[in-house]
Amino acid sequence: MLKFLKQVGDYAKESFQAAKYIGQGLSVTFDHMRRRPVTVQYPYEKIIPSERYRGRIHFEFDKCIACEVCVRVCPINLPVVDWEFNKAQKKKQLNHYSIDFGVCIFCGNCVEYCPTNCLSMTEEYELSAYDRHELNYDNVALGRLPEKVTLDPMVTPLREFAYLPKGVMEPHDLPKGAQRAGKRPEDILEDLKQDKAAAAPVSDDKA
Amino acid sequence: MTLAEGTQLVSFGVLTLTTIVAALGVVLLENIVYSAFLLGGVFISIAGMYLLLNADFVAAAQILVYVGAVNVLILFAIMLVNKREPLAPLKNAWVRQGLTALVCLGLFALLGTVAITTSWNVLPEAPVVGDTALRLGEHFFSDFLLPFELASVLLLIAMIGAIVLARREFIPDARTGDGDPNLIFRLPERPRDPVAPEPLEPISK
Amino acid sequence: MESGIDLQSSAIQLLVDLGLPSALAKVLWLPLPMALMLVVATVGVLIAVWLERKISAAVQQRYGPEYAGPLGVLQPVADGLKLLFKEDIVPDRADPWLFTIGPAIVVIPVFLSYLIVPFGQNLVVTDLGIGAFLWISLSSVTPIGLLMSGYSSNNKYALIGGLRAAAQSISYEIPLALSVLAIVMMSNSLSTIDIVNQQADHGILGWNIWRQPVGFIIFWISALAETERLPFDLPEAEEELVAGYQTEYTGMKFALFYLGSYVNLILSALLFSVFYLGGWSFPIPVNTLAAWIGVSPDVAWVQVITAAIGITMVLVKTYALVFLAILLRWTTPRVRIDQLLNLGWKFLLPVSLANLLITAGLKLAFPVAFGG
Repeated sequence: MLKFLKQVGDYAKESFQAAKYIGQGLSVTFDHMRRRPVTVQYPYEKIIPSERYRGRIHFEFDKCIACEVCVRVCPINLPVVDWEFNKAQKKKQLNHYSIDFGVCIFCGNCVEYCPTNCLSMTEEYELSAYDRHELNYDNVALGRLPEKVTLDPMVTPLREFAYLPKGVMEPHDLPKGAQRAGKRPEDILEDLKQDKAAAAPVSDDKA
Repeated sequence: MTLAEGTQLVSFGVLTLTTIVAALGVVLLENIVYSAFLLGGVFISIAGMYLLLNADFVAAAQILVYVGAVNVLILFAIMLVNKREPLAPLKNAWVRQGLTALVCLGLFALLGTVAITTSWNVLPEAPVVGDTALRLGEHFFSDFLLPFELASVLLLIAMIGAIVLARREFIPDARTGDGDPNLIFRLPERPRDPVAPEPLEPISK
Repeated sequence: MESGIDLQSSAIQLLVDLGLPSALAKVLWLPLPMALMLVVATVGVLIAVWLERKISAAVQQRYGPEYAGPLGVLQPVADGLKLLFKEDIVPDRADPWLFTIGPAIVVIPVFLSYLIVPFGQNLVVTDLGIGAFLWISLSSVTPIGLLMSGYSSNNKYALIGGLRAAAQSISYEIPLALSVLAIVMMSNSLSTIDIVNQQADHGILGWNIWRQPVGFIIFWISALAETERLPFDLPEAEEELVAGYQTEYTGMKFALFYLGSYVNLILSALLFSVFYLGGWSFPIPVNTLAAWIGVSPDVAWVQVITAAIGITMVLVKTYALVFLAILLRWTTPRVRIDQLLNLGWKFLLPVSLANLLITAGLKLAFPVAFGG
């Protein structure tokens, strides 16, 4: 009898606990309702990609020396480098270059290893097509520069969270010239120079 | 004839027609699923009859119990045992069908004569019963107490029986006759070859 | 209780005064409340769908529909139009008859149940003597339609979904009926009007939610299960069953299921507010308020205001409950089928029986507080 009563009591306790947890969950979801929507309403608003954004790859035909390093460092040997040896100049001459962005994983290894910096990452991410073969970009397509989000009159550019001024959560309607929190790279460089200038006489004294 | 009487007459006709047609469908259709659904139709039209007889509580109970419980149970049984098996046509099937028809017709004739010969005590004006649930309760707890309690005992027995059947803790052993290859409960399992490493060849020097 | 506004008799009187015979006047009046209720139910669904989308978006920190009308209020209309114009496909080797009848059988009982939903003393289609019981018995017809559409789709997901839906709705009907029975026992009547009137005396303190603290939880859980709302949406669990019994449906037939589920949700919320939250009664009785101001509650304009307050109160309570259901949808994860049946048969059923027993005992012990 006592055991049965204990069972009943435990069961009741568990039910109350379950009810408590559901109540806690409800309070969490209720709290989320007053939070700011994080939606970027895409075709009308676009996020400004960050400096290190790894988008579609840009290629400069004239800089390329057809060394094929990009092919070797690519995880799947994706870039196609079509060259022939020009005997008169004793140089490799590039005929065609192409990257299939339907297959590319945007790891950026080719950009990293390119000896002449003829490859670079752009901020373009709108790579939709009706046919996947349209994503196979040749050297002409690779040479095009992407449209900047901030210059498109149809689009409201929105800053990413890390680029908002201190204490601001809302990327809409920022005041003009509002700077992000922390120092900008050029400020850091400036500071470094000043530090060096300040430190130089001290080191002279020691010497 | 007032409007209310006309409506009643038309609804009675429609309900009778649906009852008879659906009942015939239950008996005559080949597809057992159709029969089960039509049975629901029969129950609902009978509930409509009850409504016409001012028995709204009974009508609702009819829908709840027969359509909502019994018919759904039948459908469950049919759909869980959905075995489409072509039945071998019986020889002399007409003998059975004829016999069934004879018994049914006899029963119908019997009930018909009873219905016709009994002198029904028809009240000239239907008494207006205000709260049918109240009246039913009064009757259940006064002059119909014994049948009511007996019915509840019957239901209790049925429930206990169902629980006893369902709560059987052990399943009787499958027959050990291994000779039967068509035993359904055996999951065919590929006999595993013992994985042993190949004996290494002595490296010849 | 005061009778309040009696629209029926005044409308019939108006028609008779215009020179129509009284029988014809009654016939002309008859379809009006029914049509009105259909419109109310459908508009209620549009509002509920919009609320569902907006609140879900808010909970997930999105905007939700924005561009169809101000704040996207026309989005449900756009959805409905889209479904209306979609091609009506009957799958190959499906059973065309059962496939077509199934959705109708699901929807019709739900709409029929609106017969007993009161918005005021006389603002109800019919004040049936078996009110609450009619709702319970009609809601037991729905599983047949679900089984029918699940079976006729010729699709295993649809069949499993239909079987699950039927099993779930049968299991949860019993605690639902038992919790309603406790209410009925306290108000000595099955009629929804009487149930509200019994709670109307002391304003918010007289509502049944204080007298049935266990019952209303059981009712709400069972109602969520009956309407297949999220902790209990197993029949259409999209991760496992694609869409359950709706898998093969498109166009208007799918729209019927969609409509039916929302109409059912609103119906459950309406009946919850009638059974437990005092229906159309204001938290402070309107008569008391009128006495404070110093006007008689029988004056015509006071009665109009009373009726307006009543309708508003019913709708406010109902949509607060719909809001709770939507919030619960994004709070609780879906239960497994065995957990669902365990909860129904091993928890809710015994608890609701005990609740019924305690209510009966309290009714005998304190007939003043528990409706002697």
